[in-house]
Amino acid sequence: MQLTQGKRYAILGLAILGMGAVRLPFERGLTNELTDANLMPPKLEMGTSERIGQTFSAVSLGGLRTLVATFLNLRAYGYFTEQKWADVGETFDIIVDLAPRTAYYWDTGAWHQAYNASAYYLHESELAPLRRELNWRASVLRGEEFLKRGLRNMPENPQLRQALGVLYSDPNKVEAFGEPEVAYAKSYDIFIAAPGGAEANGMSRRFALYSLARIPGREGEALALVEEIIKTPKSRTATVLNLLYTLRYFADPEQSVGELIDAIYPDRETAYELLSRQWGRSRDHFPMHGVARGISLLELQLGVPSERSILKQKSLPPLRVDEMFPKGR
Amino acid sequence: MNPLSNTIAHASRIRVIAFHAFTQLVRMKVFYFLAFFALILIGSNFFNLPQHEGPEAAGVNILHSIKSWSLGAMTLFSVVLSIVATALLLPKDVEDRTLYTILAKPVPRLDYLAGKLLGVLLLVFVSLAMMDVLMTGILHIRTNMVMESQVAFAESRGHSAEQIALLKSDIMAQGATASLQGAVFSVFLRATIIASMALLISTFSTSTLFTTIISFLIYFMGHFQADARAAYFTSEAGTSDSFLARGISLLISLALPDFQLFNVIDAVIEGQVLPLFILGKLTLIGLFYAVFYVISSWFIFAKKEF
Amino acid sequence: MTESPPAVEIRHLVKDFQTSFKRQPLRAVDDVSIRIMPGEVYGLIGPNGSGKSTTMKALLGLVAPTAGQCAIFGKDSMKVDSRNEVGFLPENPYFYKHLSGEETLEFYGKLCGIKGKKLKDRVGELLELVDLKEASHRRIGGYSKGMLQRIGLAQALIQEPRLVILDEPTAGVDPVGSREIRDLIFKLKEQGITVFLCSHLLEQVQEVCDHVGIIFRGKMVKEGKLEDLIAIEDQTELVMKDASPELVAQIEALIKSDASASLVRTGKPRTTLERLFLRETVGRNDAK
Repeated sequence: MQLTQGKRYAILGLAILGMGAVRLPFERGLTNELTDANLMPPKLEMGTSERIGQTFSAVSLGGLRTLVATFLNLRAYGYFTEQKWADVGETFDIIVDLAPRTAYYWDTGAWHQAYNASAYYLHESELAPLRRELNWRASVLRGEEFLKRGLRNMPENPQLRQALGVLYSDPNKVEAFGEPEVAYAKSYDIFIAAPGGAEANGMSRRFALYSLARIPGREGEALALVEEIIKTPKSRTATVLNLLYTLRYFADPEQSVGELIDAIYPDRETAYELLSRQWGRSRDHFPMHGVARGISLLELQLGVPSERSILKQKSLPPLRVDEMFPKGR
Repeated sequence: MNPLSNTIAHASRIRVIAFHAFTQLVRMKVFYFLAFFALILIGSNFFNLPQHEGPEAAGVNILHSIKSWSLGAMTLFSVVLSIVATALLLPKDVEDRTLYTILAKPVPRLDYLAGKLLGVLLLVFVSLAMMDVLMTGILHIRTNMVMESQVAFAESRGHSAEQIALLKSDIMAQGATASLQGAVFSVFLRATIIASMALLISTFSTSTLFTTIISFLIYFMGHFQADARAAYFTSEAGTSDSFLARGISLLISLALPDFQLFNVIDAVIEGQVLPLFILGKLTLIGLFYAVFYVISSWFIFAKKEF
Repeated sequence: MTESPPAVEIRHLVKDFQTSFKRQPLRAVDDVSIRIMPGEVYGLIGPNGSGKSTTMKALLGLVAPTAGQCAIFGKDSMKVDSRNEVGFLPENPYFYKHLSGEETLEFYGKLCGIKGKKLKDRVGELLELVDLKEASHRRIGGYSKGMLQRIGLAQALIQEPRLVILDEPTAGVDPVGSREIRDLIFKLKEQGITVFLCSHLLEQVQEVCDHVGIIFRGKMVKEGKLEDLIAIEDQTELVMKDASPELVAQIEALIKSDASASLVRTGKPRTTLERLFLRETVGRNDAK
């Protein structure tokens, strides 16, 4: 009863430690449970610097991270409208530290770099061509890196997977990744590996096809894929039909073009319209095997005067970086 | 006095003190904060905040931002109020000598402490409940709007019925879910831990300012506790870590509350599901802390002289 | 026990305070013993800082004695149930500013476990007693010093305690308020309530108390019945009305003729300034 206040504090200190020892296993178990239930980010899969960044934000903002992320998202929008790309990038780095499990932030941050900033350096910047080219390439690669980081934080997130797959298959960006076919191959790998059955992933499989068809040397694989895709009637989009045509033609250039067209398209008018469209997409790296032959045949049959032939429009080769940033501007 | 009537007497005294503390705080006009909250929330609903997103995301992010605004404001309010109100009420009673008049009545000191704490928590609870109602209402309206526009978009693109159903359930998961209510309750649980901790500090602190600063410090450091604990247990395997570093990690893990557990709130904002049994475990932890801290406060306060 | 226990029993109370970092503790109360029987009005007087408040706080269990015991109606002061029979008015009390006078009394009543109609009646009764009926719905923040003191007294009486402890009940109160509080103390005395008050205003203590203790530097220096303590045993006072100068001269001559007695002084008794002040101001109040 006659404890001095000092002794009471000592007892209190011991009690706090004892209470800590009681709750420690429970809290530790719960933390693991939360991690398993996706309610807490896993600890070990991330790089140390990323981990420290997230912990630091958690410490300094305890409990307000999502709110601050929302504010910063607004600020990033401001930088975006002012075209301050470095600031946009930095802000999104902080945002994803604060809310690493919101796919939206990873997606948007990457989109700003890979699409908006790169387009700015491509079209609007007043910098010297070489500088513009370097910045353009760097922006695209930053967007790529950002999406990859996002996927490390949220593996299997369909939104981020798709964004990365789309980025690798963008004909205006592939040059930034080195050889186009390497990027298309990466894109194909991402789309074809989309989890879920073929039925659930109609779109992913089509995207996989679009990328695969653009890799020279893998036409056989692409043909097999497109033959499988068309088994689902819903998947018979214009591009799918055109790729079916050109890949079948590539497999056997000796066959009758007329029969090939009839086997694929519902009627000749549609065939002409779709193939003309394909003709205009040469810049996108799409294969063009037999397209000109098919169009000539259809123009003959449909009575299109030769002076109005679609083939008069030149089929341009894919865009190269040198053309994007001409030296003597 | 028999034990039952004794318990009832305790409960009724605690209730009187709790309601009194609640009234006191209400008359300090803390509820003005709620008006501020409502203004922001309703305002953010009327003025579409600029969203930099592709058309395919159309509007889903607004749901995310309503949730993060609301739960962020709830966090801010509940933490600040729990600490400041608790840190204020005790020293104020001592300073104004109202404590003498209360303790000169047949009021056990434990009842006094428990009453004050419950008063603060009652205020936090009522405020959170009101904010929750507002948030849920606005979220409900917004979810329906987003749903309509996205379903219309999907139908115009000729998506199948199953895919539209999938889209609908996706949007619903971003709206006012049961998990979101669980997250609001988690905000309250965290406030409970913080308030009872501030109560303990205020029993031996000499000023409101000291209590407030230390409480905030512990609150922030509590977000680090889980890392210290992880460091302690991982270092067990390796031998390279120094004895001192391990000791410090252990000390931090034992002494500080683990606030990182409440990061589930952020996960719920990001659309994760909060299972009931996890909420139950969080509640258990919250109660454990509150009871321990109140008893500790009493242990110090019981023999305090005024 | 056949006899009822004393209302207040303080035995050899010693209280040391640890002064910050120095090892030397400060002895605030040094071996003080007080015994107050039910129905008595006891005044503890002494200069500021002499240990009056500490003694009272020890009696109420607000501080723990270093040595000795305190008990209220035979119950140990360190136990909560000893507080059932006691009402306390601290020095310069402040109550919750956000409550009205009525709410304040209700709050303290509920703390003592009174509720419902009984509480309502008791609150009304006390507001009547301390004459705060009209101000009962105003917030305490706007009360004057005297009103605070009176609501404090009402608060102390809420659970009808048999003992009331008043710490400097009239400190800082103007003479009108002071008189009202004095009247209240007389009322309590009539109802048989034991009063234990402390003050440094001697005149006030003299007026209401029947037992007095003088405390100085923590030690009880004198204690006893008031009349016994202040009577000047070898003097006799004679106050006359409408006495003619001749009669006065005769009396003076009579005194001179006595061998052992001597005349100390004659003159007109003065009213005190306080009494004059009260007559003028209270008279005005009544007229209004």
